[in-house]
Amino acid sequence: MVNGVVPSTLKEALEILAERDIIPYAGGTDLMVENRKNAEYLFLNKIPELRQIRVDEEEIRIGAAVTFTEALADPNVPMLMKEAVSRIAAPAIRNAGTFGGNLGNGSAKADTVVVEFAADAKLRLVSAIGERIVNVDGFYLGRKKLDLRKDELIAEVLLPKHGLDRYAYEKVGGRNALAISRVSFAGVFDSADGRITKLSAAFGAVADTVLRYKDLEAMLIGKTFEEAKHLKPEYLKAYDERMMLTKGRVSAEYRKQVCMNLLDAFLSKFGI
Amino acid sequence: MLFGKLLHATVARARVVKVTVPELPEGYFYVDAKDVPGDNNVNIVLDDTPVFCRETVEYIGEPIAMLCGPEEKIVESLRDACLVEYEELEPVLDLRRATQSFFDYAYGHGDVEKAFAEADKIYDEEFETGYQEQAYLEPQGMMAQPESDGRMFVHGSTQCIFYIRNAVARVLGCGPEGVHIMQDVTGGAFGGKEAFPSILGSQVAVAAHKCGKPVRCVFDRREDMEYSSKRHPSLCRYRVAVKSGRITAMDIDVIFNAGAYSTLSAVVLQRGIIASPGIYQVPNLHIRGRAVKTNTTPSGAYRGFGAPQTFFAVEMMMDHIARDLGVDSLAFKEAHCSKQGDFTSTRGRYHDPVPIPAMIEELDKVCNYREKRKAYGLPQSGRFRRGIGMSLLFHGAGFTGSGERDIIKAVAKLRKYKDGTVEILAASGDIGQGVRTTFSKIVAHELNLPMDRIICNHPDTARVADSGPTVASRSIMVVGELLRRAAEKLRREWVDGEEQEVEEHYRHPDYLIPFDLSTVTGDAYPTYAWAVNAIEVEVDTLTGFIRVLGAYGSFDVGTPIDENIVIGQLEGGFLQGIGYSSMEKMDYDAKGRIRNHSFSDYLIPTAQDVPNLQCILHVEKFPYGPYGAKGAGELPLVGAPAAFLEAVEQAMGGKSLHHIPFTAEDVLSVIEKEGI
Amino acid sequence: MDAIQFVLNGRQVTYTGSAADRLLDVLREIFRCTSVKCGCKEGECGACSVLINHTLYNSCCVAMGAVEGADVVTLEGFRETERFAVLEKAFGSVSAVQCGFCTPGMLLAAEALLSKNPHPDEEKIREGFSGNLCRCTGYNAIVNAVKQAAEEGSGLW
Repeated sequence: MVNGVVPSTLKEALEILAERDIIPYAGGTDLMVENRKNAEYLFLNKIPELRQIRVDEEEIRIGAAVTFTEALADPNVPMLMKEAVSRIAAPAIRNAGTFGGNLGNGSAKADTVVVEFAADAKLRLVSAIGERIVNVDGFYLGRKKLDLRKDELIAEVLLPKHGLDRYAYEKVGGRNALAISRVSFAGVFDSADGRITKLSAAFGAVADTVLRYKDLEAMLIGKTFEEAKHLKPEYLKAYDERMMLTKGRVSAEYRKQVCMNLLDAFLSKFGI
Repeated sequence: MLFGKLLHATVARARVVKVTVPELPEGYFYVDAKDVPGDNNVNIVLDDTPVFCRETVEYIGEPIAMLCGPEEKIVESLRDACLVEYEELEPVLDLRRATQSFFDYAYGHGDVEKAFAEADKIYDEEFETGYQEQAYLEPQGMMAQPESDGRMFVHGSTQCIFYIRNAVARVLGCGPEGVHIMQDVTGGAFGGKEAFPSILGSQVAVAAHKCGKPVRCVFDRREDMEYSSKRHPSLCRYRVAVKSGRITAMDIDVIFNAGAYSTLSAVVLQRGIIASPGIYQVPNLHIRGRAVKTNTTPSGAYRGFGAPQTFFAVEMMMDHIARDLGVDSLAFKEAHCSKQGDFTSTRGRYHDPVPIPAMIEELDKVCNYREKRKAYGLPQSGRFRRGIGMSLLFHGAGFTGSGERDIIKAVAKLRKYKDGTVEILAASGDIGQGVRTTFSKIVAHELNLPMDRIICNHPDTARVADSGPTVASRSIMVVGELLRRAAEKLRREWVDGEEQEVEEHYRHPDYLIPFDLSTVTGDAYPTYAWAVNAIEVEVDTLTGFIRVLGAYGSFDVGTPIDENIVIGQLEGGFLQGIGYSSMEKMDYDAKGRIRNHSFSDYLIPTAQDVPNLQCILHVEKFPYGPYGAKGAGELPLVGAPAAFLEAVEQAMGGKSLHHIPFTAEDVLSVIEKEGI
Repeated sequence: MDAIQFVLNGRQVTYTGSAADRLLDVLREIFRCTSVKCGCKEGECGACSVLINHTLYNSCCVAMGAVEGADVVTLEGFRETERFAVLEKAFGSVSAVQCGFCTPGMLLAAEALLSKNPHPDEEKIREGFSGNLCRCTGYNAIVNAVKQAAEEGSGLW
């Protein structure tokens, strides 16, 4: 095959990747739009290890070459993720697009990635010489910059098995289908004994990477609902001051306002 | 066959100092203005559009040259390797700052000054509309083939084969007999393939002439979106005098951004200004309209042809006045609505019935407009707010003024073969509007023949009569009637087993008041198609997203000859109008470059955006159209913007809004500034 | 190395060009499947829809290497089926075709939808071809055609 290799095992793929400059190709939906000249592709669609969704004690493990359509059909994938995936583009894109590709493209507009940020997902990265597990927020270093070596592949997305049931997800696009996110929002919440035990808020498509501020979340975690309500204006103000949006076709002012509105509504939804 | 690729200018205004062309391999060519054997000007209305640029370029994208050769990728890389040296000049990008008008019309009647002096209240507002890209799914494409008899054969995706014939003949410096033009199967047009293929057709013809081989140029999406013509952005200022609750005068100033060359702006502007007082009786009226030059992509024809911009403005103006007066918007519009026999804005007459009142009632039954309007007018709370709006409008069927009689002079022919099959020989091209089916139906019906005995091929200027361009909602009403008459004649003269040909010429209805463009008076159109549109929306106050809950239209296009086809035109046009109002945003940056040049940056509606879209027919037969048919193609687009924005205004608690597209960003910006 | 082998419209075929080439271009230019239309080259219009292993894809966003060993169907192949005949009749009878440029993609999107869900409601139908832009029809006629095909072709899917 000219300009491409189709390995059938992960091991084979990693050996090729270690040897030469070759671009991992998963669903093709971003890569083919880039229209790279004289590219050589490592096709990952025939590697069984990357195409499974597995569940263990703690985690739901989604293979990097699992497509969005496959995830929607799988009973183990959390509703929060399904909601985001169901709003990606349109059927043909969901049939092709993969979880690994959504990450590997490095875009802050990736709809599964904002969920992964809010859900504290981890990524399993593999290479011919070993593997490592990284937090998704650490994986993103900047615009199109990833903590991923040339010889590494994203193997799996690891989502926590519990604690994602109470959530908010919003995608703001320009139309009802085939929409690229202008703002996406994922928030996860939990409480026990009248106190907030979990609160995460992630914003997609607004900056070079998905934004999440754990130090600001900490303002409300451990607080009672009454305390949180009291702190809410301060909490929102802190976000307002912190969030610096990148410029785009759709103005930063607008997207910022949407972020603040959705954050406010997220808290309100859970009684804060 | 050679591939042709255009070398486009990359600056908005400049003197072209020098083009350094890379060394061309054998069989590759560089074609520019020097290679034009005839006149380097494309025949459109004025002949100011060059085939290839003159000493200056006037917009980003202006064709400087065409590179041709057998390998597409090599042609592309040669094109990309061309080095153009510019001496940049200051471009004019903002239509408000434009100093040159290609066209400047003014007309009116009554004593406007006096009416304003005596008014209880004067309203003064501005309305703006943006670009709209036709976004036909098939991009522009033309091909030229030199033939062995010396003629140049040009074919491709187009609406108007005789326009291209005239343009190419002039450019090649030959007579019309030296060229022939055929329409290929055309993947959508909507006006975008009215004049533009004359330019592209001229370019490939010049290239084929130079190379001595067939040359094909097909645009990619980006090239098409950035550099082909689109709907004129507009700025309309309305000053309106009101006395005792009635409008006594309007002083209207219409400015269309024509872009760098005049192309079709004269006729687009004429239709725009004639529509600018809407369907209303205005006793004292002054209208000025200008098409101004800017250093941007030349604007051109798009379904509605100037009318969507001004109908939007006048309908919003009426709505804003009604709100200020504390009266219902629809009631206020109805009170000013023209009736049969009334003067038009150009001192012509509404000779035929004006069915608007009945259509309002019929549409109200479909969508409960009045009830909803009342309910949504009460204070609303919560994240999602609703509104409904209604627009009333006409679309003049056929060419503006006496164009059909004086300029087009349409001819259509039928040829009967010995075996009894009958071929339609007219220039109208099928661009998805079903003209081949409808023409065949008319002829089959009149001759009492089954449809499979009628032939209607894609037209070639070498074979068909010049029945005029496929534009202006005229094909069925004007050409269809010629074919009906021709078929009627053929039926009378029918002789079995003989080859026969019949021909019919356009006849202007004799009761029409002659139109005079110098004063803009007379009957601007032989008749009018009418529409009432209602659109219902839900606004998300957190994200600004506007969801269209329902779009409802009643349309009078006369007798529907094929009801499925007519409804298809109405639904498709209506949805384009909703896109124009809401999500279809295109603009250029500080350098004059259009930024929204892909389907991910320029959004058009998908199947999920307006799931509830209903169109109904109201039939007022037009005696001069075939079986009573009038024009249908453009009408459904024209009224959507005002109905949409009125609905958004109501959902936002009765704000007065002034521009389209009105996006989510605009919603939040209004909420931010004015609250909700 | 070996050429790319795949099944195109029921026939085993070989492609010796680059694995990075677009399926869209190869289908049109090498295999002359001109029902596959190019509207945007970025997965935003659906005019180049094809079925790969019975699943709908935008062929502009598929590199040739990804179809190694796959079963690719374009309208040229699909039109030989009974299902196509039912869809063709339905699209014709409700005038769901205007300019026709989106139609091959629409038909394959309908086939993909009905294969999964033989009796979809209107919402599912609209979702089924939400990635296939049509600028002409306003979509109602296409929805009606798919509804009609689902009824008349009951049992075929």
